[in-house]
Amino acid sequence: MRGFIRLLGGLTLTATAGTGAASAATLPQLDREFYASQVIWLAISFLILYVILWRFVLPRISHILEERQDRIEGNLERAETIRREAQATAEAYEKAVAESRAAAQAVIAKARDRMTAEAAAHHAKLGQRLAAEIAEAEGRIQEAKNEAMAHLRDVAVEVASSAAERLAGERVDPRAVGKVVDRVLKERS
Amino acid sequence: MSGFGVAFRIGVELVAALVVGVGAGLLLDRWLGTTPWFLIVFFFLGAAAGVLNVYRAASGIGLAEAEGAPAPSDGEPEEQDDDWPGGTGSDRP
Amino acid sequence: MANPLHQFEIQVVAPIHFGDVNASLTNSGVFMLITVAAVTLFLMFGMRNRRLVPGRWQSMAELSYEFIAGMVRDNVGNEGRRYFPFIFSLFMFILFGNLIGLVPYSFTFTSHIIVTFAMAMFVFLGVTVIGIVRHRLKFFSYFLPKGVPLVMAPLLIPIEIMSYLSRPISLSIRLFANMMAGHTMMKVFAGFVVPLGILGGWAPLSIDVALTAFEFLVAFLQAYVFTILTCIYLHDAIHLH
Repeated sequence: MRGFIRLLGGLTLTATAGTGAASAATLPQLDREFYASQVIWLAISFLILYVILWRFVLPRISHILEERQDRIEGNLERAETIRREAQATAEAYEKAVAESRAAAQAVIAKARDRMTAEAAAHHAKLGQRLAAEIAEAEGRIQEAKNEAMAHLRDVAVEVASSAAERLAGERVDPRAVGKVVDRVLKERS
Repeated sequence: MSGFGVAFRIGVELVAALVVGVGAGLLLDRWLGTTPWFLIVFFFLGAAAGVLNVYRAASGIGLAEAEGAPAPSDGEPEEQDDDWPGGTGSDRP
Repeated sequence: MANPLHQFEIQVVAPIHFGDVNASLTNSGVFMLITVAAVTLFLMFGMRNRRLVPGRWQSMAELSYEFIAGMVRDNVGNEGRRYFPFIFSLFMFILFGNLIGLVPYSFTFTSHIIVTFAMAMFVFLGVTVIGIVRHRLKFFSYFLPKGVPLVMAPLLIPIEIMSYLSRPISLSIRLFANMMAGHTMMKVFAGFVVPLGILGGWAPLSIDVALTAFEFLVAFLQAYVFTILTCIYLHDAIHLH
């Protein structure tokens, strides 16, 4: 081992010769007087550092990192829940709007139907009444017409009879006159 | 930096293996009184080991980027499937 | 001009001896302890309020945690979790050691080969022990790559073993040499500032300013490289490639 270290020393001499300014013989790194003390104090201080970090410092850091991670995850989760809730609310709102719109549509449709039906009924009733009135009027006209026609024949027979009486000076058989008048009327009408 | 750094790294890798080879050769020669045969053999073995070291360093078991630019890992430790509690190391290497 | 290597000299603060062993507290040891305190303060102060929405300081502490956690996860896998505290400590120790060393008149313990070598050796031995405990004898199949003809084994196995053994050396030399070279260069240029006076001193001064910025990058990068290589070695030991 000792020879090995000496070898190492020789190597470092050549390695650092390039830096020039140093004379190799006085390189403090090769002074073996303090090798043992440096290794001992290295071991002591590193052990202290290791124990401090391992026991106290690193658990603290990892703890806080974990806590933050949990917090971030928790926040994300909460945000997600809130988002989902908002979405559900929006959906419910949409649904309510759609429902009320449908209900309104239905009401409107119903009202329209009812009104249409009522109008139709009114219309039909009116038509009926009018038709009845027309029919009645027509009946009355027909009656009047018939009556008038009947009177007309009588008048015509009478006129014809009296005209014939005046012209011929004799009484004409009313039945014959009636026949003639009937024939003429038939022709004219 | 990079040119000097690479040259220096290769030098160190080569020289370190040579030191081991020469040291082993000298020790064996002293033990067995065969000066200078083991020294010669182990010098060449050490040189070969040095070349191997340089090859390995250059073709990268992570060494290539080690001296170039420190590449901090991109993954956050939190993204790991397992946590890294600092205080669980029970034994030391 | 001041000796640019003076900054690396060890000075005894409190002499301690155990028999033959010189365990004196030196400036190196003092700065190791300062580094430990700084890392602890940085993390504890950042975490003092434990806010769910972090402030700037807390973010930095958390960022360093997540940075290393990601590195361990990506490079070692799930089995690496139990080693996370060690790797995190290693990274923070080296990083703060490097950074504190940039403060004028301070001491950079990572610029001492024995320190980086001890850390690298600890990592190396630890990783090897983990590999052997996990895989028993199968661990040694690591040295014989799959699909290699057996005839080549006598040649390849020693090469692979040597490549394996060179890990702590390359790991330690890389950190040590980077830190030492940077600090030496800074000191050399700084040494030119005053002798060149007002007329010429601005050139090395501006170089030093640029170097300081560069050294911040190197301080981070070398801590990063040391740590990620530890992760990769750990991965190899756990998964055998």
